[in-house]
Amino acid sequence: MAEKNNKKYFVEYGEPVGIIAAQSVGEPGTQMILRSFHLAGIESTVATSGLPRIIELVDAKKKPSTPVTYIYLDQKISKNFDRASEMLKKINEVRMSNLARRALENFSKGKIKIVLDKQELESEGLTIRQVAARIEKDMGLDAQPVENGVIVNMHTRNLKEIRNTKIAIMKMLVSGVDGAGKATVRRDDDTGEFYLVSAGSNIEGIMQIDGIDKSKTTTNDVFAVYRLFGIEAARNSLAVELKKTLKEQKISVDERHLNLIADAMTASGSVKGVGRHGLSGEKRSVFARAAYEETLKHLVHAAAFGETDKMRGVTENILVGKQIPIGTGSVKLAIKKEDMSKVMPKK
Amino acid sequence: MIMQTEAIESIKFGVLNPDDARKLGVIKLTVPDTYNEDGYPIEGGLLDQRMGVIDPGLLCKTCGARAKSCPGHFGRIELVRPVLHSEFTKVIYMILQSTCKNCHRLLLSDEHMNEYKDALNQIEEAVEIDAELGDVKLGMGSAAMLKRIKNMKRCERCGTVKGKLKFSAPTYFYIDDYKMKPDEIRDLLEKVSQDDLQVLGIDSVVARPEWLVLSVLLVPPVNVRPSITLESGERSEDDLTHKLVDIMRINLRLEQNLNAGAPQIIIDDLWELLQDHGTTYFNNETASIPPARHRSGRALKTLAQRLKGKEGRFRYNLSGKRVNYSARTVISVDPNIDLDEVGVPLEIASKLTVPFYVTAWNIDKAREMLSRTEYPMIVNAIAKDGKRKRVIDLNREELIKDLQPGMVLERQLADGDITLFNRQPSLHRVSIMSHRAKVLNGRTFRMNYCVTAPYNADFDGDEMNLHVPQSLEAQSEAKYLMNPKYQVFSPRDGDAIITNNEDGITGMYMLTKDDNFLTKEQAVYILSIAGKYELPDPTKDGLYRGKDIFSLLLPKGLDFEGRSAKAPFVIKKGKLVQGVVAKDTFGRGDNKLLAKIGKDFGYDVLKEFIFVSAKVADAYVTMMGVTVGVKEYTTSKKLAEERVRLLSETFSNIEKLIEDYRNRKLEPLIGYTLRQSLERMIIAELNLVRDRAGEMLLKYESSDNVAVEMARSGSRGSVLNIEQMTMFLGQQATLSGGRIKRGYYTNRVLPHIAPGDVRPGARGFVATSYYSGLAPTDLFMHAVGSRGSEVYKALLTARSGYLYRRLSNALQDYSVKSDYSVRDANNNLVEVVYGGDKMNPLYTQFDTVD
Repeated sequence: MAEKNNKKYFVEYGEPVGIIAAQSVGEPGTQMILRSFHLAGIESTVATSGLPRIIELVDAKKKPSTPVTYIYLDQKISKNFDRASEMLKKINEVRMSNLARRALENFSKGKIKIVLDKQELESEGLTIRQVAARIEKDMGLDAQPVENGVIVNMHTRNLKEIRNTKIAIMKMLVSGVDGAGKATVRRDDDTGEFYLVSAGSNIEGIMQIDGIDKSKTTTNDVFAVYRLFGIEAARNSLAVELKKTLKEQKISVDERHLNLIADAMTASGSVKGVGRHGLSGEKRSVFARAAYEETLKHLVHAAAFGETDKMRGVTENILVGKQIPIGTGSVKLAIKKEDMSKVMPKK
Repeated sequence: MIMQTEAIESIKFGVLNPDDARKLGVIKLTVPDTYNEDGYPIEGGLLDQRMGVIDPGLLCKTCGARAKSCPGHFGRIELVRPVLHSEFTKVIYMILQSTCKNCHRLLLSDEHMNEYKDALNQIEEAVEIDAELGDVKLGMGSAAMLKRIKNMKRCERCGTVKGKLKFSAPTYFYIDDYKMKPDEIRDLLEKVSQDDLQVLGIDSVVARPEWLVLSVLLVPPVNVRPSITLESGERSEDDLTHKLVDIMRINLRLEQNLNAGAPQIIIDDLWELLQDHGTTYFNNETASIPPARHRSGRALKTLAQRLKGKEGRFRYNLSGKRVNYSARTVISVDPNIDLDEVGVPLEIASKLTVPFYVTAWNIDKAREMLSRTEYPMIVNAIAKDGKRKRVIDLNREELIKDLQPGMVLERQLADGDITLFNRQPSLHRVSIMSHRAKVLNGRTFRMNYCVTAPYNADFDGDEMNLHVPQSLEAQSEAKYLMNPKYQVFSPRDGDAIITNNEDGITGMYMLTKDDNFLTKEQAVYILSIAGKYELPDPTKDGLYRGKDIFSLLLPKGLDFEGRSAKAPFVIKKGKLVQGVVAKDTFGRGDNKLLAKIGKDFGYDVLKEFIFVSAKVADAYVTMMGVTVGVKEYTTSKKLAEERVRLLSETFSNIEKLIEDYRNRKLEPLIGYTLRQSLERMIIAELNLVRDRAGEMLLKYESSDNVAVEMARSGSRGSVLNIEQMTMFLGQQATLSGGRIKRGYYTNRVLPHIAPGDVRPGARGFVATSYYSGLAPTDLFMHAVGSRGSEVYKALLTARSGYLYRRLSNALQDYSVKSDYSVRDANNNLVEVVYGGDKMNPLYTQFDTVD
């Protein structure tokens, strides 16, 4: 950056950087791909990308449609594929329904029998005993390990209670992190290190696990980052996700534009979308809001509460036919009265 | 000159006071009809001439002016029973809910109320300290307070138990299951004090809540709802008039029933009917009320519908301005026209005008212009009082005599005038740039093809718009900010967007190839095109190197090192010593010849270089005769053999993969199941064969093949395009990016394929070429892909258009302030320093060339 300090290359006063940023993202929009692609290795998971992903980010959706967590591992583990695979067992979200082949209710005796799949158990590194213990601990039920599964003794004959308990047990988390989804091992081709990718976004939960490199582990869920690390991190996450998505589509947009969008969305201290429920809907100007969307709502509100429009933005001024207050419209030409005579033609 | 002397500083909203409404409504309307039998507007009817006139000949009975100058006057309908303004029911509900039915104060005790008042005051104080902070947006009270009030059981002041208030759309309020009449609601609202309203965020000076219950209805002037006379002589009334007739009819009937002492139930029914008519008058899309319809069954467009949406008053008329001094026609190419010129047909140039401001210094020139009677002549003369007179032979002499400083003459558009040129959709700022007019024969706008990229224009019938800025301010802004020479680099990423393209690159590529020599005759011709009248040093054979010819186009003393067409590209002291000019010479990627020229020599030199090099390239292409024909796409014997070899090799590789998979011998890829691994390996093989076919093509096709040469230079077409025409089409992909796998019942695309067959041909690999022709099954596979992309192209434009609208709406107020911070319209800080380094993205390429 040889010319960093050359004023010639700085943005100029009044430059409408917001509009330019919007155009820089909006114009190549049609070149973007509308589809999503299959996330490698994770069955039936697709990662949203291209235009839908941009829309999702800019809308500040509370949950991404395809949350993904990139779990980096401690030095000792990350070099070894087997040890990295071990980590999967700690993270992979396994519910009873994933393990159970069948669940039988015996209403007359008040018992529930869950027949477990040996292969599934083995692949998740669990034993029947462990599963039974887990049921006892988490659900507070009387569970006995037997040869091919677990028998839960309900001590009641209430049909409704038994059925509800069975449903609850099937939904129960047996091992892994709640909401972490299924993870797989990946190899970073540059460093040769192994890391995990999971199709969930419970980064709070994942961070609790030993052997994880907390400084590198990250997620595409902006709100998860916001909850865990705060607004500055959320801004970063937004900007990074925007950059990543555009780069995937081979669209080059200067990062300053994307940073500005991220800054605008987070400047208030919380993450706000750009639509009618976010930045556009919270503008001060009545006219700007009315000319955008939900015209009636804003006009009615303004009238009933006696709002004032101070005419400081772009839309309001266009509406009434005034010069807009940005760019060359933000400066005025001044001339002293005595100098006026010099430029006026003589009568 | 047009000067802005007074400006609207702020606009305050409020609710109309019924007393004001009675003053504003000049007449009381009494007859629910429009015209009498003689076709004359009924006095006291909805088209009473005291509300203004629309026929040009008539005089307004209130102000005496004609239709053009009469602004129109409101009338009024006195409602015999009040009705609620349906749009404000939410506000009414909020107030009723927050106040006590007994003491009519806010339900909060003084203590609690003061808490909220203090909070409000604090914000107000903060605003006073920092006037730039802007006004505080008045919400529906504070959300927390409202929530608290909602959960309260009794009034904290008088202890009265809160009534059970229920609101039922569209306009019914129940208290303890008693249906309140509008006048009862009004009585409640009237008693709420100004202080209490202020706590709720309502400015009761301009918006008393009881005014939301209407007892007088303003009737808009006739010019707001003009009636149209059809060809048949039949009159057709505006939707608003129709609705108002309905309201008046019910109002009259209600009045008659009241006077006749009709039973309460009939009165109430009519009252509710009146209410519903009122509701649809304001908004005919109110939920839970069937919309009022025209005789034909079409729903009426009432007040809300006039304002709302894309075709509503706000977006269509207020945000979207219409302009004069503009023209539109088809565009076509002219490589001899400069980048910042536009060829304007004489027909258009003689209709568009540019103001000529007469002063003491140019009055002689003005007289001379005024006396002209053909093309560059004066069309209108605007006197000092603003009166515009058309200049005709009859008044020309008189106008010349009366000419004096301060007058404005409108002359026809001429060469060199500054115009704005635009193509829609205007997706970014370079969709509108300023061009100097060049008046030409013909009926199309002419432009240089190097500036098509920013407009995204081509010449297959595109039309573009031309505007003539009128004020000197606008002209100079256009000239110094919007000229294409300042727009060579995109504000998006700093890459050049105004560059050579198409033949402008092919020609340069052919000219600068290592083994390219020109005869003296050729060299002289080419250089004369560029306006260069010197020759470089000839070789021993008396020939001239193409590179030396190109070097003459470069700015003197340019030093540059980069890469072009995958090879080094070196310019030393203004001479091309190594490399060949190709697409990436012109500023793409990490090759920044244009950025270098722009930085070292300025925009004028840069523009000249692009213009001249494109012109020379065109001339060279024309001279050499570059054309593409069937010859380019006929496979040589050698290549045909290679094709067969490549395909059979690939197919056998894939057969082996499938066999390994069946025998469970296939080694899965990390992170993939066995099945996914197989699929990925097959796709990898198919990608490989495509790439290898491309390599073969480049290897066996000589530089005689123009199609290959164009692909190499990057000017048009790619190796893949040629490959698909001469060798095979390759894998046809679906929207989701994978191979085609469904289409016919079970796990197969077409019925002749075995279910579960994963071999290339079964999953959309097309081994035939466009030249050889596609087998029916291949054509089907190809059509699957084409259809898919066609379908989502339509979807994509809609989606991305809306994204753009939302983004620009949210970010439009942000601008850079003098301390390089980015702030919104109310001076709220968004970025402390723009981009962190103040750099304009436009110059990022300048930054990295040295």
